[in-house]
Amino acid sequence: MIPAKKVLNTLNEHWGVLELLFKRFKMTDFSLKDVQNIIKNKNPQWTSERIFRETNRLLNQEIIIPLAKSSQLEINRAVADFASFLLQEEDLGLAEEITVLVKDLERLGTRLQQAGDEGDFSELRRFSRIMDERVRKIVKLFQHNESAIFNIVEQAKSDNSNLSLQKRYRAVIEAFDEYIEPMLEMVDIRGQFHACFAVIESQISHQIDSIELFGRGAHDKRMLEQLRTRILDMHLIGRESLRKSADMLMPLREELRRNTLITRQAAKVLGLIRKNGVDRMLTSVQPEFVSDIQRFSLGQKRHMVAYMASLAQFEHDDYQLPDQTDVPAYHSPNIPDYQDVHTAFARTFADNGNKRQALLGFLTSQYPSLDADEMLFLYQKLVSDQDFELQQDNERAKVTINEHTFALYPFNASTVQETHHDTD
Amino acid sequence: MTQINLSELTELHAINKKLVGGYHISEQDTTLWQQLDQNIEAYQALFSALGHDLQHDRRGFYYLASDESTPNMGKISRAIALTVFILIEHYANQGKDPLRALFDEVADLELMQTLVQLNKHLFDQLEIFSGSDLRKDVYLRMVRLGLAKEVEQGFMHLAPIYRYIDALMEVNEDGFDALEDEV
Repeated sequence: MIPAKKVLNTLNEHWGVLELLFKRFKMTDFSLKDVQNIIKNKNPQWTSERIFRETNRLLNQEIIIPLAKSSQLEINRAVADFASFLLQEEDLGLAEEITVLVKDLERLGTRLQQAGDEGDFSELRRFSRIMDERVRKIVKLFQHNESAIFNIVEQAKSDNSNLSLQKRYRAVIEAFDEYIEPMLEMVDIRGQFHACFAVIESQISHQIDSIELFGRGAHDKRMLEQLRTRILDMHLIGRESLRKSADMLMPLREELRRNTLITRQAAKVLGLIRKNGVDRMLTSVQPEFVSDIQRFSLGQKRHMVAYMASLAQFEHDDYQLPDQTDVPAYHSPNIPDYQDVHTAFARTFADNGNKRQALLGFLTSQYPSLDADEMLFLYQKLVSDQDFELQQDNERAKVTINEHTFALYPFNASTVQETHHDTD
Repeated sequence: MTQINLSELTELHAINKKLVGGYHISEQDTTLWQQLDQNIEAYQALFSALGHDLQHDRRGFYYLASDESTPNMGKISRAIALTVFILIEHYANQGKDPLRALFDEVADLELMQTLVQLNKHLFDQLEIFSGSDLRKDVYLRMVRLGLAKEVEQGFMHLAPIYRYIDALMEVNEDGFDALEDEV
């Protein structure tokens, strides 16, 4: 028997060498020369004698052991397991492993119950211990597989473009089909896993009850309680771990599925194009674009529809073009007839005793609602009227008509021609 | 009814000019894309009033949808479709992840030559006889339509290529059969 401390020291001293051996050769064998080379590589300053001695030390402490009937060597299984645990270089286990352990757990549960019923406490304790160990092992497997899946995912993601898609994802697909799916089935609420745990739990609870009832072995009770808790915990850990693993794998699996779908479709469509011709095949599926030319034409269906709709609403209407000669003069509807204005002005003028009178003053007082331009129109008519005698002021005046201000030399009427007055 | 506040649509002129030319505005056109992203409803209402159909694709691009295109545009689109489908097949044949390769890898002249050589009889039908024809007739037009961008060694495909992938996936068995019957 080699003292553990000694082995640990050697492991510590040669960890670099072992790690390299483990990574390079994984589970295969290697020669003594390989070991010496690696040691030399790690410690270039060592003499060959020292290297020989160190190699022997590894051999003597059974860290590396010779294969049966061969000069080749391999890493001690126990050390390899330890290293794989330390390096997290775990390979995905089988769902079967866990299934077997759970089945065993079920069997042990029945045995435990038997022992309890028979009152054989040493047996009860023994089974409880074994079950405890199994549970720990299952939990360890869950964790182990989870980190293995993590590694698989990382590897698949670290894109090595020249690696084929199929190859890259093979591990993913395998992990999914061989581990996740059966496991998910197992931990399903209606699955056998669950049923089995229910049975075990009720068995243990029953034992605890009977221990309580007969009041014997507080220690045993504690032990069973612990076991029960551990089993429940295990179930939980298992579900969590599986969910996490599935979450990691699912996106990759989807990606692969989508990609294969696209690839297959592309191959199919190209095949058809080859058979039927490019234009025939693609005209119906190609995406369409808006183009500059279209902007200026009725190229599109909806443009046509809009155009047709407006055509449908069109109503033919005879429209008489006006004759050039008899166009009536424009009359603003607000302006009173000039003849009336003329008469009114003449009358006012006469009433005032033919005094000097401002034309604009008359207009604003007579027609206060007129707009400025209409007022000016009348003013201009009056000014140019031959019937009145008008004088223009010499001073410039400012007049405000309906919020418009004008500066002008206003006209004033002084006398009305008698002749015309008579005719009116 | 959506309120269209024209003073907020500061990039309207540039956006209109690009879109009616068939251009796809994707995230690389940062200013225009942000502007559209923020005022999508107003733009959509405005363009639909103008008789256009402004589409927002969740994969990150905007374009004016159209039911028909001019014969010339149709031909260009066919050439692009063929190129994209052949590229997918090409990448898959090389064992690459076709979608990833499509968007990650640069399409250079060498690749174009290979494509044309390998699919000569298909490209012949579109009057594309060499890699440089493919570059000129397809890739430069793809740049003009916002489907690709020119980089140092060649062209990178942009998100609007998904329109072609959608078109590819739309071709279903029934469509095949109908076509077969016609033949």
